[in-house]
Amino acid sequence: MSEHDAPPIAGQPALPPTAPSHHWAGTYLLMPKLAMGLLVVSLISLLWILHRNELDEQRTALIKDILWMEQNLRFHLSGIDDQLSQLGLDLTQDARPGSTFQVRTRHLVKNNAELEQVLWLDAQGRLLDAVPSATTGRQVLEPFGDTSLNSALASAFDAARKLGKPVYGQPYSVPQRGTEIEIYVPVFRNGQVSGMLVGVYSLNNLLNSVVPWWFAEKYQFRILDGNGAVLAAKSNIVGELGLDYRIPFDPPGHGMVLEAATYSTPGNMAQRLLAAVIVVLAAAVSWSLWAIRGHILRRLEAEQALREEHAFRKAMEDSTMVGMRARDMAGRIIYVNPAFCRMSGYSPDELIGTRPPMPYWDPDQMDMHEFQSTRVLAGQSPQEGFESRIRHKDGHMVHTMVYATPLIDASGKQRGWISSVLDITEKKRIEALQRQQQEKLEQTARLVTMGEMASTMAHELNQPLSAIASYAAGCANMLRQEDRPPDRQALLAVIDKLAAQAQRAGRVIRRIYDFVRKSAPQQEAVHLDEVIEEAAGFLEAEAKQRGVVLNLNLARGLPPVEGDPLLLGQVMINLLRNAVEAVSDQPLHRRRVRVNVRASDDSSQIEVRVEDSGPGIPPEQAENLFTPFYTTKAEGMGMGLPICRSIIESHHGHLSLEPREGGGSVFAFRLPREGATMAPDSLSPPASAPVSSPASPPTSTPNATP
Amino acid sequence: MNGTVHIVDDDEAIRDALGWLLQSRGLAWQGYDSAEAFHQAVDQARAGCLVLDIRMGGMSGLELFNLLSEQGFPLPVIFLTGHGDVPMAVSALKKGAFDFFEKPFNDNDLVNRVIEALENDARRRDQETASDSIRHKLDALTPRERQIMDLILAGKYNKVIADELSISMRTVEVHRANLLDKMGVRTAVELARLLQSATEGRSAP
Repeated sequence: MSEHDAPPIAGQPALPPTAPSHHWAGTYLLMPKLAMGLLVVSLISLLWILHRNELDEQRTALIKDILWMEQNLRFHLSGIDDQLSQLGLDLTQDARPGSTFQVRTRHLVKNNAELEQVLWLDAQGRLLDAVPSATTGRQVLEPFGDTSLNSALASAFDAARKLGKPVYGQPYSVPQRGTEIEIYVPVFRNGQVSGMLVGVYSLNNLLNSVVPWWFAEKYQFRILDGNGAVLAAKSNIVGELGLDYRIPFDPPGHGMVLEAATYSTPGNMAQRLLAAVIVVLAAAVSWSLWAIRGHILRRLEAEQALREEHAFRKAMEDSTMVGMRARDMAGRIIYVNPAFCRMSGYSPDELIGTRPPMPYWDPDQMDMHEFQSTRVLAGQSPQEGFESRIRHKDGHMVHTMVYATPLIDASGKQRGWISSVLDITEKKRIEALQRQQQEKLEQTARLVTMGEMASTMAHELNQPLSAIASYAAGCANMLRQEDRPPDRQALLAVIDKLAAQAQRAGRVIRRIYDFVRKSAPQQEAVHLDEVIEEAAGFLEAEAKQRGVVLNLNLARGLPPVEGDPLLLGQVMINLLRNAVEAVSDQPLHRRRVRVNVRASDDSSQIEVRVEDSGPGIPPEQAENLFTPFYTTKAEGMGMGLPICRSIIESHHGHLSLEPREGGGSVFAFRLPREGATMAPDSLSPPASAPVSSPASPPTSTPNATP
Repeated sequence: MNGTVHIVDDDEAIRDALGWLLQSRGLAWQGYDSAEAFHQAVDQARAGCLVLDIRMGGMSGLELFNLLSEQGFPLPVIFLTGHGDVPMAVSALKKGAFDFFEKPFNDNDLVNRVIEALENDARRRDQETASDSIRHKLDALTPRERQIMDLILAGKYNKVIADELSISMRTVEVHRANLLDKMGVRTAVELARLLQSATEGRSAP
C-alpha cells in the first residue's frame, strides 16, 4: 500500500508543514514598530514645528511690539524735547521769561510723569530756574564724588551747546529715585546759544507712563545700560521668561538697550504636557509592542517545539513496525499508522471512522473479534495482550498480538483506546518451523538410534552368516575335488560347526524379538477422535504453510478402541502428513484433506478414512507402497507406511489404500472397538488400484523402535 | 603356493570357517584372535598375506594396518569389513592395502584374491632376493672398482675414465674386466639393466 499520511487525531489541528523562524517574527513585528516609531517621530515633529511656529510668531510679535514700543518711547521723548525746544524759543521771545518758564514747565511736568524736573541754565551752565525744585538727582550723588558723571554730563552740555541740538546725557542711578537721564536742549538767542533747558527723566516713570498694560502683561520690559545692568523695568507679572529681544534705545543712546522678554504662557505648559504625554504613550506602546514581541517569540518557539515534537512523533509512528490503531469511546477508528495499514492492507481513508465489525476481521472468527473488541472498549483487555488473527485486504491471514491502553488527551480525559498491534505471523511461522525442526530432530534421533540398532543387528547376524557361508563354500570345495575322496570326518565336523553358527544367528534374531517385546505397546481405551484431533493440531501449521485445508469429519460419541494412543497418533500423523504433502502441489482449491471417522454398522469396528485430492498413486507404485525401504520421496526412508501397517495390524486392524472418486486416494484403517471379539478381518489386502497420496511417508516413525 | 595366510579376527567362528575354506583350496593358514596377538608374532610372518577384520575389540584392524605400514611390513593385506566400514576400507586401500571384502562375502572370490596376494608376495620375495644378491656383489667391489663402475654407468669411455682418474688406460681395462666379472655380467649394458631391476624391485625399506 502507499504511504499515507495518517490524518491527525480528531481535535488535534494539523500544524502547517513549514516552520516560520524568528526572522518571520521580526518582519511581523517590524510594521507596528515602524508605524509606532513614525507616529512618535511625526508627533514630536509636529509639536516641534508648532513650537517653532509659535516661537517664530512670538518672536515676530515681540519684534513688532518692541519696535512699536521703542517708536512710542522715541515719539514721547521727542514730543517732550520739541516742547522743551519750543519753550526755549518762547523764553527768548518772552518779556517775562521767568513766569512763562514756571507756568509752561509746571504744565509739562504735570502732564508727563516721566519728566521729573526741568532746569533752566545759562550758557555757562549756571542754574537760572528749576521746576519743581532745584534739587537734582545729581546733587544727591555729588557728595559721593561721581566726577565722571559730572564730566560726562558736562560733555553732554558742551555737545548740546556746540551742536545746537538737544543732546542726552549719561543715565545715572539715584537711590530712591531709580535711574534718571537728562536732556540738554539749547536755548538760542539771535542764533547764539544763550542758555540750556535740562529735562530730567525718570526712566521708571517713563516706562510706567508710556508702556501700556497689555504690553506689560505680555512682556517684561526693561531698559539696560551697555553693561547689561537694569536701569528700569516694567512688568506686571512675575514668571518664567521665554524669548527676549533687545534693540538699542537711541536716542537717548549712551549704549542703552530696550529689552522685552516674553512670559512663557500656560498654553506652552499645556503643549509641553501634551508632548510629554505623547512621548510617554509612545514609550508605553513601544514597551507593550516589545512585550508582545516577546510573547509572540515565545509562542513561535512553543509552536516550533510543538511542530518538531509532532514531526518527531509522526516519524516515529510512521517508521515503527508496530501497528497503531486508536478508537474513540464508541469504538470508531480515529487513527491508524502506516504500519497498521500495511498489516491490514487498507488505506487510512478506508479505516478512519469505521465502527466494528472492522473490514479486516476474519469472517470465520467474527464472534471472537466482537468479543475482543467489546472487551477492549470495556477496558477489560488483558494487560499481557491478546492474540488476534486479522485478514489482510488481499485475503491472507495475519497473526497479531494486540495490547490496548487508554487514550488520554491533553486535559487528562480519556478519549478512547489505543492499541499496539504486532505482526507475529513470522514469529508463529518460525515457531511452527522450529516445532517441525524439533520433530524432525527427534525423528532423526530415533532413526539414528534405530540405525545403530540395525547396524549392530546386522553385524551380529553378519558374523555367523559369514562363517556359515565360508564353511559351506569350503565343504563345496572339498566335495568338488574329484582327484581325492572327501574327508568325511572333517566334513562332518565342519557341518556341525556350520549348524552351530546357524543357531547362533537364530539366537541373535530371538534377542531382537525379545527386545521388541520389551517395548510392547500400551493397551488402553483410546478415543480415536481425540487422537485424530491431536494429530491434526500437530500438522496444522504445516498444512497452513502449504495452503492445505484440513477437514475433520468426526462422529462424536464413538466407542473407544483398545490400543496404544501414542502409536495410533503416529499412524494418524503419518497418514495426514502424506495426504498434506500429496495435495500441496495441486491448485489452491484442490488442496483439501478430509478425515472421516465412523463406526461400522454393527458398531464392532471403527473406520478412519484419510482422503486427499492429490494426483493419486500409479498402480505399479501402489504395489510397493507397503514394502519396507521403498519410497517415492526425495527425503523418504520408506519405513512409514510399513510401520503404520504393522502398528495397525498389531492392533488387530487393517490398513488399506484405495483410489478416491474424483482423483486422489484414500488410506483407510479399521480397528475393533474395545472389548469387541476379534472379528476376522474380511478386508482384502491392499488393492493395487490407482491410488493417490505420496508413497512412503517421510520420516515419521512410531515409537515402536525394535 | 608357498606363504601362509594370516587370518586376524576376534570371532573364532570366522577364523575357523575361513581357515577351513582356505584349507579346502590347499592354502596354509594361521589364525590370530586379535590385532595385538598378530603384532606380537609379526616376525614369524615372513611370507604370505594378511586377512584382517576391520572391526575388532582392542586394536582395530585399521590401527594394526597403520602400525604395520609404519614398520615397513611387506605382506599384502586384505580387509574384511562389516556394514558401514566401506569408507574406512577404501582409505586403507589408498594407503596400500591389497583389497577389501564386505561381509558376507563371496567366499571363493575372496580365496582367489588371497591367492593373488600370495603370488604378489612371492614375486616381491624373489625380487628382494635378487636385489640382495646384487647388494652382495656390489659389496665385493673395491672402492676403485666402484668408482670406475659409476663412471661406466655414466656412459664414459675407458680413455675418459683413465684421464679423470689419472691412471693408465690399461689399468682401467683391468678394473673393468674385474668388476664385470664380479657382478656376473658381460657388458656394461647388462650391468646397467641389472642395477635398474634391483632398484625397481626394491620394496619399502
